[in-house]
Amino acid sequence: MRFSILFGGKAGQGVNVLSNILGNALTKKGYYVFISRDYQSLIRGGHNFNVLTFSEEKIASNDSQVDMIIALDENTINLHKKELKKGGKIIEKSGEGNMYFAGRIFKALCIEFKVLEEELKELKFFEENLKEAKEGYEETNEVMCKVALKKNKLNFANGNMGISEGAIKSGIDIYYAYPMTPATNVMGELAEKQIEKNHIVIELESEVAVINAGIGSAITGAKTMIGTSGGGFDLMTESLSLTGVADVPLVIYLASRPGPSTGVATYTAQGDLDLARHSGHGEFNRLVIAPGDPKECEELTSQAFYFSQKFGIPVIILSDKHLAEGLYTEDKNAIITPSKKSTSLKRYNSYEVDEFGCATEDAKQIIKNVDARLKKGKEIEKEAERFEQYKIYGNKNSKNVVLFWGSTKGAILDAMENIDAKFVQVLYLEPFPMKIKKELEGKNIILVENTATGQLGKLLAEKTGIFIEDKNKILRYDGRPFLADEIKEEIRRRMK
Amino acid sequence: MTDTNINTPIIPTWCPGCFNFQILAAVKNVINEELKKGKTKNDFALVSGIGCHGKIFDYVNLNGINTLHGRVLPTCMGIRVGNPNLTVLGFSGDGDCYAEGMEHLIHTARYNPDVKYFVHNNQVFALTAGQPTPVTEIGYKDKTTPLGVKLYPMNPIKLMLAAGCGFVARVYAEKGQVESVFKEALKHKGFAFIEVIQPSVIFHTDEEYKTKFYSLEKEGHDKTNFEKAWKKAEEFDYNIVNKIPLGIFYQKEKPMFEDLWPQLVELKKKKMSWKDIRR
Repeated sequence: MRFSILFGGKAGQGVNVLSNILGNALTKKGYYVFISRDYQSLIRGGHNFNVLTFSEEKIASNDSQVDMIIALDENTINLHKKELKKGGKIIEKSGEGNMYFAGRIFKALCIEFKVLEEELKELKFFEENLKEAKEGYEETNEVMCKVALKKNKLNFANGNMGISEGAIKSGIDIYYAYPMTPATNVMGELAEKQIEKNHIVIELESEVAVINAGIGSAITGAKTMIGTSGGGFDLMTESLSLTGVADVPLVIYLASRPGPSTGVATYTAQGDLDLARHSGHGEFNRLVIAPGDPKECEELTSQAFYFSQKFGIPVIILSDKHLAEGLYTEDKNAIITPSKKSTSLKRYNSYEVDEFGCATEDAKQIIKNVDARLKKGKEIEKEAERFEQYKIYGNKNSKNVVLFWGSTKGAILDAMENIDAKFVQVLYLEPFPMKIKKELEGKNIILVENTATGQLGKLLAEKTGIFIEDKNKILRYDGRPFLADEIKEEIRRRMK
Repeated sequence: MTDTNINTPIIPTWCPGCFNFQILAAVKNVINEELKKGKTKNDFALVSGIGCHGKIFDYVNLNGINTLHGRVLPTCMGIRVGNPNLTVLGFSGDGDCYAEGMEHLIHTARYNPDVKYFVHNNQVFALTAGQPTPVTEIGYKDKTTPLGVKLYPMNPIKLMLAAGCGFVARVYAEKGQVESVFKEALKHKGFAFIEVIQPSVIFHTDEEYKTKFYSLEKEGHDKTNFEKAWKKAEEFDYNIVNKIPLGIFYQKEKPMFEDLWPQLVELKKKKMSWKDIRR
């Protein structure tokens, strides 16, 4: 069973709060929930909508059709009524606030009022909200779906919360950032917990300041992380190159949105894979890893700290708006990779250096330094093999392989049922896991990516010589995430 | 025995007679005095940028980083946040600080971390062989400016006063002057901006400057008076050399960045860095 509700309204009407209240309540009831956020780059007005899907079984995506539409304004109905399933229900009433609708939905899903009351206690204006919610709850007796108590113990989080949690569990000391959607919430999450967990969060004047302060802190031995999106990351790349020559352990969270340039600021894309792998001048070591859900966000953030500290390298955690701000339920705890602080203040340099840490132009010394970096690159590759660099799902012996990375995981795994294919999720993009070749050779490979050019396909060709046919690339580049039913159809059409 | 040797085996590659030698000697003298007074080498961090000035990192054997062009200040800030017990010394050139790194200069003055910051100002990009910087005078010519510099130079002293800097000084690149202002800066709690007029012996010799200098202190300048500091700052516009006041224009202690964050206050109190925190 999958049940989907679309909440729509103007920015400022409380669409987000409304869907999150229901998401929290359903999670506590033991239902798996997924919420995606679609909002514009404005603060009041416009049109925002969230889609919440819940199920007794694990899910992490939405479908193209919904069972209910909660319309906080007229525009929501005009824009979304075509997405309503036959027999679906629209809840609307002009002049009512979001808590009225909370009451209506909780009633329609047969959830006790006291559960809603508990959720309201977490918010401001409890009395007013309670009154409004009660009004909605008592308005009708119509039932759309019967929610019962399930045994699942679930955690409800978005990707940014996973990144923050992973950083805290890895013992983060310092986080620097400059606000940029969709990475900003990591700064908020960590800032809220900075006194309790004893780390520090500082917003600086630009991304250039952010990475250079990050380098300054990292070389004192502090576990340091910075976060941004594509445009901000572009500004950082000269200094990324510095971390490469000076062996600076720095964790960089890169949450993508559609580019080029300002692009579509509050929507989603995976277009920064090439950037993460190639940014920065000169040749140096780095790790690029990409989680596909909040649990993997936690796990890979801890691996990012592990690799950065062990090898003194920059590690880029690549995510996107869909993962960063989508809300997921998880029934298992993340497995955290512990890391030791390995750096202490010594002499660092942006130049090639001699044995005293002083700038050098000596040819032999340059070769020595470059060779040391190459050797370290090999060691990183070897160490990375100890980790789960890619994951396999579905029928391991199928001649069809669906290849993907990052936030497409939710929709793809939700579409997996009744598809005879092997599903391969790549988590380590740099260094690239060469043993993946054996999973792909001679197979009908279907690539799914939120880009226009299929960057993982190019990476695969570069590393393994395996080319994916253009007709086998399922690419989406309208700023929207994949939906489970659509992706299922797209994969089916390409099966052999 | 504690290592107190701050020399490196590197032979300086500055031009013969370069005024950077004066700055280097002064900086080393003051640091050596601090070491004699009981500080250790590990109590210091030195950051320099790219340009002639940046080589100072190679000639002083202290921890730190010779970082990118323009990024000395955020790096210093990061080191102070990483370990608020360190004495952090930053060195930039006028290109490094007033061109590429300008955004950081203004904001660092506002943040007010305890960083002592020297700008080696020779009014020229010397290491790239003579291009004009934001403080080069009108009419200056080099290969890239055959028509002569057209733009009016900026006045960093006024800029620092406007940005709320609590220690604004200018000295000439003469050992005694640099030493004395460095000592004053060390006593000051917070960000100290010290511009060192450091003629380039090749591209911008500034011979006439020497006759125009005068000491603010000897003149009885009240460095606690902002309006008077502003007037003094206006006396030299970096364009026409009329008179050039030297010394501390303005000094006022204000809350330091590191004292505004309870986490950092705690580290200072316990004489710890984040590295020492085990979780």
